[in-house]
Order: sequence, then structure tokens, then C-alpha cells
Amino acid sequence: MSVGGSLDQQWVRVSGRLKEEVGETAYRSWLKPLTIGELKGGEVRITVPTRFMRDWVQTHYADRIRAIWSGENPRVQSVDIVVAQARLDVGASANDDADIVESPMPSDEIEEERPTSGAQLGIDGRDEHFAHLDPRFTFENFVVGKPNELAHAAARRVTDAATVTFNPLFLYGGVGLGKTHLMHAIAWQIRKKDPNRRVLYLSAEKFMYQFIRALRFKDTMAFKEQFRSVDVLMIDDVQFISGKDSTQEEFFHTFNALVDQNRQVVISADKSPSDLEGMEERLRSRLGWGLVADIHPTTYELRLGILQAKAESMNVQINSKVLEFLAHKITSNVRELEGALNRIVAHAELVGRAITLESTQEVLHDLLRANDRRVTIDEIQKKVAEHYNIRLADMHSARRARAVARPRQVAMYLAKQLTARSLPEIGRKFGGRDHTTVMHAVRKVEELKTSDQSFAEDVELLRRMLEG
Amino acid sequence: MIGRPAQLPLDLGHRAAMGADDFLVAPSNEAAVSWLDLWPNWPAPALVIFGPAGCGKTHLAQVWRARTQAPRVEPGELEIDTLPQLLARTSTVVIDNADSGTGDARIERALFHLYNLARESGGHLLLTAESAPAHWGIKLPDLRSRLLAAPAVAVGAPDDALLAAILVKLFADRQVRVGADVVGFLVTHMERSFDAARRLVADLDAAALAARRRITVPLARRVLERS
Repeated sequence: MSVGGSLDQQWVRVSGRLKEEVGETAYRSWLKPLTIGELKGGEVRITVPTRFMRDWVQTHYADRIRAIWSGENPRVQSVDIVVAQARLDVGASANDDADIVESPMPSDEIEEERPTSGAQLGIDGRDEHFAHLDPRFTFENFVVGKPNELAHAAARRVTDAATVTFNPLFLYGGVGLGKTHLMHAIAWQIRKKDPNRRVLYLSAEKFMYQFIRALRFKDTMAFKEQFRSVDVLMIDDVQFISGKDSTQEEFFHTFNALVDQNRQVVISADKSPSDLEGMEERLRSRLGWGLVADIHPTTYELRLGILQAKAESMNVQINSKVLEFLAHKITSNVRELEGALNRIVAHAELVGRAITLESTQEVLHDLLRANDRRVTIDEIQKKVAEHYNIRLADMHSARRARAVARPRQVAMYLAKQLTARSLPEIGRKFGGRDHTTVMHAVRKVEELKTSDQSFAEDVELLRRMLEG
Repeated sequence: MIGRPAQLPLDLGHRAAMGADDFLVAPSNEAAVSWLDLWPNWPAPALVIFGPAGCGKTHLAQVWRARTQAPRVEPGELEIDTLPQLLARTSTVVIDNADSGTGDARIERALFHLYNLARESGGHLLLTAESAPAHWGIKLPDLRSRLLAAPAVAVGAPDDALLAAILVKLFADRQVRVGADVVGFLVTHMERSFDAARRLVADLDAAALAARRRITVPLARRVLERS
């Protein structure tokens, strides 16, 4: 030990100086958990608990550690940062790296309430971060049509251009029209082109949560530092930041810092920058400085195109009548359209039946039906009387002619199927009949339904009319 | 009239058995059961189960909770700041009476964030309500479109066989045995819902205890007429 005591003693001094340089918080998050191994051939081995931490320390502190340390001890020429073996084994049982990086702090207790760290934010262009991105949301899977072609072209520009040509890219449009899809597609594409670029995608609320937590743990410095070291920052649904002053303030500074450093910022919102409510004027105007592209509500053609592409990607054959029906009926947005398709496909798999127009209407009943009122016995009687062209009064009358008795039985049957009324109550509603009469009617109708196909269809039609 | 005083029946707080084995699958709920069985391979971060009061939604949710260990909340209890903790342990949450807070901006926003957090963490929400999300009157468009895109599966009013089985189970939960004639009578005379069955069995049990008699068809008729 020629110079300055043992390695550990040297580390105490080195880390003391680092602490002065980086501040207490970053020190506690990143440097304190380091363990010093041995010095071998001019290289100091430093052990960290997780892979993510290794990458982080490597990129952010390794140079400084080496420089300060060789000032202490000229024999130190480089540092090697490795992941502690035991820690790796724990992580290895899980199926991907994301599990390892979740816990840069060795103690579970601390981990749970731990303030913002790069691990949680997933700043790296590595797999950790991309776990949060939907693998289906790529440019390849984005169906372009008139309503979204501008936004799509702008998103493409961000990933294709070698330099930042406009900043920020601001995408806006109503809910469920594909903003998030485009954002994720940008992230995937950038990674494909250059895996080393650091892309950070997060929802506005996540930004907010991280910031609140950083405030609570007085760790805002690390928070800032992590945001400001990315190459591309993407914030989804920025309108959810509005109204929260301190978060807005922080966002504004982060935003400015990145734009000043010529880093790409991509923002999405439900409204144009000037229409964002509860947001400071300076921030609104800053958000509109770059390229603002809006996504319009879908057209029938686009909806149909989306459904066809989606069905293809799900590898299911669906009758074009069904797709046209969906494109025609579900006009609100793409999310609901795709959700509807997911539902009918999943249902068909669950019950092991083909997808038909009828099954589609049945499965999506709740979406397609205009309102949700409960069917009453009065309505049933009225509808059935109309259908069979008899007088409403005959529902209550004592007449037993087949021409009125059969419709009455159908109405009783439907009353039992569609309402929760007791059989005696149903009987009373049909001219004070006994519950056994109702039971007889129900049995009779069930019998006829199995023997007479057209009768069964009639009853089914009535049921659907009443429910829908 | 002197004679035996009516015995005061005490509600001993019996608890209905709610394990998966106690669950009765019937045409009215089999779609919901298969959706729950499909978990975690749902096509969306949320599943909605809806049906009239007392159709067995709570029971279905309990069966799922037994599998997932999901905490159970109502929308009014959601606090924006603590949503991550809610999901932290199991990445699953059951939200009962999920429509009870819609229209309230704070609650809708909390629900929206919870949905997003669940999606980001690969977790799932199970929501129950009496109607489908399309009818909840959700004001926040982001929340509305997310919940409308989630699969919603209806649980119907029980059919006769299920209603009979439910009655037998509810009686069994109270350690009471009744004849097939009583069950048959009840099924054809009662309102056909789980709620009604629950109330009726409780009333019958109380009446039988008070009268110190077995539960018979005449007793059932009297109780039904009274209600």
C-alpha cells in the first residue's frame, strides 16, 4: 500500500470529492451503493447491484471516478464496473432485464418508496425502457389515411432527419385517434436506427408522479439530471400536466433545457397548444414553436382500413360484412373500434364459434345499444301486440282464441326472460292470471321454439327489438 | 295471546362461502366466467362485468381475487397520489360499483390514471357495475374511450336452475336444509335475482327461527306475501 492507505480508504476520499461535485442526492442514489473490489493491472473493480446501475454509473461517473482516483493513486488507470453476481442470479430467474433494473437499491424496503431513479424512468435506449412501449405500435402497423397523414409524415420526419429540424413536434387530436401509437412508433424507429440514442417516453402523469416523489424525497436534482440527459424526450397527453403549478414549472424548465441543447422533444395533447387550458401562457407559446400537427377524426374508409389491417395482424379471417358493420357503427375513435374487434375475436375463441354479423351484434350489444333502460312488461306487451297485429287489450283479456292466446304466451315468455318479475306478478299483469298459467306459457313457447323454426326466429327478433 | 313469545332471531353474521368451488356456473354467467378464466390473456388492461343488482358480480370478482390477490376498491376511495401503491403488489385491482363515481372529475381522473398505470405495468383492472361503460355517463373523454374499448361482459339474471341452486347454496350457508318443494315454490314465486334470493333466504331463516318451525311451503308463502 504505497499510496494513501487501503483501496477502501482511498475510495472514502474519492467518493467524498465526488459527493461535493454531484451533490448529496445523486451521491446517495448512485455512488454510495458501490462496492470497491480489487486493484489489478491498474484497473479498479467496482461492483454495483444492478445492470441498469452499471450502465448509469458507467456513462455518468466512471470517468470522474478514474480521474479523481488516479490523482489519489497514480497506479489506478481505469475502473471496471460490474454487476454483483448474487444480484444477477436473483434477476436471472425472471425473464427479462426489466426485473433486474427495477431495484437498484439492495434493500427492498428502500426500493419500494425510493425516489425517482433512472431505472424507473427507463432513460436508456436499452430494453428496460422499451418494456413500457407497446410492440404493436409501430409505423408498420399504423394505417395512414387523410385524417392522420400530416401527423404521420411529421412523426416520420423526426425519425428520418439527421438533425433536429423542428422542435418540439406537437401532435394533437381527440382521444383514441392514434397519438400514442405514433409516439411509440417514433421511439421504436429511433431505436431501430440507432440503439445508442437515449429516448425517454412517458405519460404526463408519470412525469407528475416522478416529480411529486422526487419532491417528497428531496431528490429533485437527480430527477432533473436524468431528464436533461436524454436525446429524445416524449411526453404523452401533456394536458394532464396542466393546472399543477410546480410540475408545470419543472416541465417548462426541462423542456427549455432540452430544446436549448438541440435535443428532440415530442409532445402529444388533446388540443392545440393555444387551446390547452390551465397552462401558463409562456409554456403554451413555447409548445407551439416547432411543428404542430393534428389528427382528425376518422373517416369510414380509414376505419375500414384499420379494421382490415388489424384483423390481418391478428391472423383472423373476418367476413367483410362484419368489418363494414363495425366501421359503420363505431365511429367515435380508433381505440374503441379496435377494442370492439378485440372483443368479437376473443368471444369467438372463447365460445368456439365463427364470427358472424349476429354474434357481433350480440357481443357488442352494450356498445351498439343507444340506451340502457330496463324493459318493462308493458313494453313487452305493446311490442308483441304490434308484432302479431292484435289489440293491446287482448294481452289482458280472457279470450282464448289461438290468434290472441299465442302472442300472449310469447309476451309472458319474454316477460320472464327479460325482467326479474316473479311469475305471480307477471300473471297479474296479464289480466290477473295465475302463475301456473305463466309457467304453462313459458313451457309452451320453449316447446314451439324447438319444433318451429320460423316461430323461434320470431321470438328471437322480438327479444332483440326489446333489448335494443 | 299468551303462549310462546316470538323468539328474537339474532343475525349471527354468517358469511357466505365465496370460493371458486362454491361458484355456480350457469348460462347466465358462463361468458363472464370464461373471460375471468382467460386472465391474464385479456386483450385490454381492463375487463368490465355488468349485470343487474344481485346477479352475482361480487361473487365473480371474489373468485378472481382469490386467484390474483387483487385489492378491492370503490371509485370514491381512489386517491391520485397513492394509485401506484394500489397496483404495486399484484398489478391487479378490483373496482366494484365502478360507475359510482362517474361524472365526478376527481374520481374519473383517478380511474383514468389507474387504468394507464395498469397498462404500463402490464397489470389488469376488473370493474363491476350494473350497466356497461357506454351508459356510465363518463365525462372525461380519455377515460370513456378506454373503458368503452375494454371488453364488457354481461351477467344475466339467473335462470330457474341457477336460481334454485343459489337458494340451496344460500340455505346451506346458513346450515339450513329445505325440501325440494320449497325451492320449487320459491323459484316460481319470487323475483328472479340473486339479491331477492339473498333477502328471501334471510327472511325465511329469521321467520323459521322466530316461529321455531321448519321452513315449509306455507311458511314460504307467508314470507313472500309479506314482502
